[in-house]
Amino acid sequence: MSAIASEAPRRSWRPPAAVLGVLAILAVWELSARALAGAYLLAGPSDVTAYLWQNAGLMGRALRATLAEAAAGFVIGNAAAILLAALALLWPRAERGIAALALLVFCLPLVATGPILRVLFGPGPGPQITLAALAVYYTTLVPLLVGLRAAPSTWFDLVHSYGRGRLAELWHIRAMAALPYLFAGLQIAAPAAFLGAMVGEFTGAERGMGVLTIRAMRALDVEATWALAAVAALVSMAAYGAFGWLARRVLTEAPPVILAAPGGAATPRRGEGLARIAVVTVLALALWWGLLEAFGVNAFFAKRPDDVWAFLITAPDAGENRATLFGALAETAVYVLPGYLAGLALGAGLAVLLTLLPALAGAAMPVAIALRSVPIVTTAPLIVLVLGRGATGTVALVAVMVFFPTLIACLHGLRQAPGQVLDVFDAYASGRWRRLVHAQVPAMWPAFFATVRIAVPAAVLAVTVVEWLATGRGVGALMALSASLSDYGMLWSAVVVVAVLSCALYAVVAAVEARVLAIYAAEQGR
Amino acid sequence: MASSVPPPPPAIALDGLAKTFPGGVEAVAPTTLTLEAGRTTALVGPSGCGKSTILRLIAGLETPSAGGVDIAGEPPLAIRRRGELAVAFQDPSLLPWRSVRGNVALAMTLARRPTDPRAIDRLIDLVGLGGFGDTRPGALSGGMRQRAAIARCLVTEPRLLLLDEPFGAVDELTRRQLAQDLPRIWEARGTTTLLVTHSVSEAVTLADRILVFSPRPATVVADIDVPFERPRAPGLATRPEAIALAERVSSALAEGRAARERSLAAQ
Repeated sequence: MSAIASEAPRRSWRPPAAVLGVLAILAVWELSARALAGAYLLAGPSDVTAYLWQNAGLMGRALRATLAEAAAGFVIGNAAAILLAALALLWPRAERGIAALALLVFCLPLVATGPILRVLFGPGPGPQITLAALAVYYTTLVPLLVGLRAAPSTWFDLVHSYGRGRLAELWHIRAMAALPYLFAGLQIAAPAAFLGAMVGEFTGAERGMGVLTIRAMRALDVEATWALAAVAALVSMAAYGAFGWLARRVLTEAPPVILAAPGGAATPRRGEGLARIAVVTVLALALWWGLLEAFGVNAFFAKRPDDVWAFLITAPDAGENRATLFGALAETAVYVLPGYLAGLALGAGLAVLLTLLPALAGAAMPVAIALRSVPIVTTAPLIVLVLGRGATGTVALVAVMVFFPTLIACLHGLRQAPGQVLDVFDAYASGRWRRLVHAQVPAMWPAFFATVRIAVPAAVLAVTVVEWLATGRGVGALMALSASLSDYGMLWSAVVVVAVLSCALYAVVAAVEARVLAIYAAEQGR
Repeated sequence: MASSVPPPPPAIALDGLAKTFPGGVEAVAPTTLTLEAGRTTALVGPSGCGKSTILRLIAGLETPSAGGVDIAGEPPLAIRRRGELAVAFQDPSLLPWRSVRGNVALAMTLARRPTDPRAIDRLIDLVGLGGFGDTRPGALSGGMRQRAAIARCLVTEPRLLLLDEPFGAVDELTRRQLAQDLPRIWEARGTTTLLVTHSVSEAVTLADRILVFSPRPATVVADIDVPFERPRAPGLATRPEAIALAERVSSALAEGRAARERSLAAQ
């Protein structure tokens, strides 16, 4: 299915309510900080402002470094997305394969790819730029794949009726039809690039916001931690807003809201599905092996597929290795699953509540849209600071990471109930609850499932970052430990297993989604 | 608009033309007939009978399951490539990011003709959209969009014009006005025109020949000549001879349906 729908942001944007919402957040933040003064947990807006004023030079230099890396990664990642989309367009049979490989690469845990890239690139901005590119290419590729086909067949008939071919199709129809989707992708990509660059810096850069964040965390510098998180949030919101503004200037229509990948809900026949998995697996292995061989990377730290196979299956200590890795994964699952489910439930629940109380939605929606653009992982140190290094902090971070996209997607989905259908309910003077149950919730399912799917890699990223930075447990900590001990067999194996499990979970959600949407949104099936 | 001497309009020959869609839906039964050059032929039949499929087969936008289409000795693709064919689709198919003027101009670009702003504006005026040249389709009513699509298909002065229910969403008054004005354009150039329509009176007032189709799969059940001189008089539809002809077409439609029901019952 294509989980993309158009939204009219101007309609949902109500400045007075938004301003009230932001002011309320600032007030609560400041009051909480004052109430908890001395607890070394919270620094209020006034403390953050004072810190930024006093350390303007340091913060400015760090921000410039991170922004430069994020910008380079943004350009490279989006260029790769455009090239991949073009390839899928020229060679339609390859589209599903390209999308599956792209998903697999997107599911690679940044926390582990960071140290590997650090070894491959050495010092310098290479890993940060690569991670920024890896964080953005998928969110641009997905809408582009949809956008390049987002035209009714009669538009192509028109082109063909003048004897023109695929080039004219691309130029006059597809490129223009894809433009809103490209902008929607770029809008999401802008904060994601910043997140990628910061995670790259977490893994051992010399300068940048990520480096300062790690230092502040280790020094328990509450003001610095809050100031860095606030700057990261503001930069992300500004980047998100800037692309939204540009889209409104350039496009004649409102950009669509991108909720998740297309085609995930398609249900291939069993044989076809297995064949596709086999082809994608072979391609992924060939790419992995081929790239390392082509660049002649040292086999000590750049493990090939056969090394991982040996490490987990055939080596004398394979059983021990498996026990360590799967033990860590089990620990992670204990945190990630409750967080993931809590985030989904809270997001969907609040969306339903706000639909029943439209006055409250007016104030909450703009704030939620702004916070959704904040890469939550960059604020991980805050959550650790406030909730501690135990289970609560980890579960909360995963839940927050999943909560905002779910809330936005569900609010959007609830609005998709057709006006004429709601008129029928009004004609019988049905109450809000009946409208909700019979018309609005069914209309929400496509958006809800789209976000459930895309939240899988997001939740994995969140849990591995927090395990790595703070809790010292689970697969995130195992990856960090393996990197510091140069145990590259374990590191590469962890990357492979986490990526495969993420893809598998994504596929399971897609299968459930296909069954539900076959009932509630048959028109979205392929 | 181009001022060069126009090439003669093409005749269209359908030779055993048939279409069965994947899944076994037979849309068009094998059909052999000739559509004369420079005349307007109306294809009339019940909804879903396959009229539009015949039009798409003639345009070469569908591949026939059997038989073929010959347009003045050439396959459809040849005339399309020269930009000498234009189709007004049932759906106006306007590009939402282009203004009315931009959509009309697009046809000239696609037909590889130099854009002629005066010709474009003249046609926009003719279809009653004067003052809406800079408006985007999203701000137009369904009927206005359809009129913009008609302007788009006329601007290239095609030799072969295929109209698929072009007035479906147009209000009655505008429809009458367009039925008066538009034929003058294709009559002046002697364009070969094919008009798919539900409306019997539209077929009688616009066409030189009416082909009446049975319910799906489309087969010709009546081939009726329209004897009225051109240009057609404004009140033609209310004249007794036009009403008599319309009744003949309606009877043929009813007979076609009855025959199809009899053949289904016999199976």
